[in-house]
Amino acid sequence: MAAFGRFSQMLLRSSLTQTRRQLSAAAGHGGDSAKTWKILSFVVALPGVAVCMLNTFLKEQEHSHDAPPEFVPYTHLRIRTKRFPWGDGNKTLFHNSHVNALPDGYEGHD
Amino acid sequence: MAHQAHAYHMVDPSPWPLTGAVAALLMTSGLAIWMHFHTTTLMSLGLVLLLLTMYQWWRDIIREGTFQGHHTPPVQKGLRYGMILFITSEVFFFLGFFWAFYHSSLAPTPELGGCWPPTGITTLNPFEVPLLNTAVLLASGVTVTWAHHSIMEGQRKQAIQSLTLTILLGFYFTALQAMEYYEAPFTIADGVYGSTFFVATGFHGLHVIIGSTFLAICLLRQAQYHFTSDHHFGFEAAAWYWHFVDVVWLFLYISIYWWGS
Repeated sequence: MAAFGRFSQMLLRSSLTQTRRQLSAAAGHGGDSAKTWKILSFVVALPGVAVCMLNTFLKEQEHSHDAPPEFVPYTHLRIRTKRFPWGDGNKTLFHNSHVNALPDGYEGHD
Repeated sequence: MAHQAHAYHMVDPSPWPLTGAVAALLMTSGLAIWMHFHTTTLMSLGLVLLLLTMYQWWRDIIREGTFQGHHTPPVQKGLRYGMILFITSEVFFFLGFFWAFYHSSLAPTPELGGCWPPTGITTLNPFEVPLLNTAVLLASGVTVTWAHHSIMEGQRKQAIQSLTLTILLGFYFTALQAMEYYEAPFTIADGVYGSTFFVATGFHGLHVIIGSTFLAICLLRQAQYHFTSDHHFGFEAAAWYWHFVDVVWLFLYISIYWWGS
């Protein structure tokens, strides 16, 4: 339901894109188009960002207490064909020991 | 003083194409050396040379165009063609990664569990941070359009405000993505899911950083009165690039984050 609202907001923006093309194709006509886009920025675009920020914050709070996914030693995941050229060669660049298991399992369970 | 009987720009000899080529050589061979011999010296040297080349080459173009008047209408038209062709080549670059994604996800192999997302992959919720990222980039598309109209109408302060806002939104996107990368329960080493996800979104993120930098240069130039109300192609090129980055994100969001979850 919330997704539909977001989606229609995205569709609204693409119709704005067409409006923008009309306005910029005739530069000078509607000499205050800057004002129009300023209004759109502060009334539609930035509030849209604010709403999404709130939504994200609330959803993150909801599952901030979830445990990381259970470790199953699947062979198609955690592939280590060649060592990484940093550290001990076993951790990816954005490794996070809380949610990323190594090929043998989570490190020390923290 | 020499005169030319045409409106085109015969550029003076320049060392930057050569230093750029040398930089490319050092970075690529440096990458191979890093992978096999664990030293980053050659690659770092290449990177420094690349940054110096970019700074000096583009500084020279600004001197030739803004200060010396070489960017006549036909020259500007050529620059427009150039930017459009470059962005088109980048579209094809991303098309390749989308091809890879759809190749693997439309017919998932038995090794993955015959399903997409593969067995054992916990995907990101597309309606949390990814949705926020979408709103941020769409908003930045609105603010950059505000900036363009401000420049065309000679509204200096508004142009600076809107351009700054656009750049801040770009930084916010980058910060959110970096956090997402750190918090993701899957990594680049998690089979073809991880590869397609991080390579496609990673190159996109790199383009956001490039686009934000381009816009930041435009902000500095706007502050120094380089742009006039009917000649500001550097800004237009940055805005085109920024819209391209936004559109690529929309495709990434729909394909990988939403459909692929």
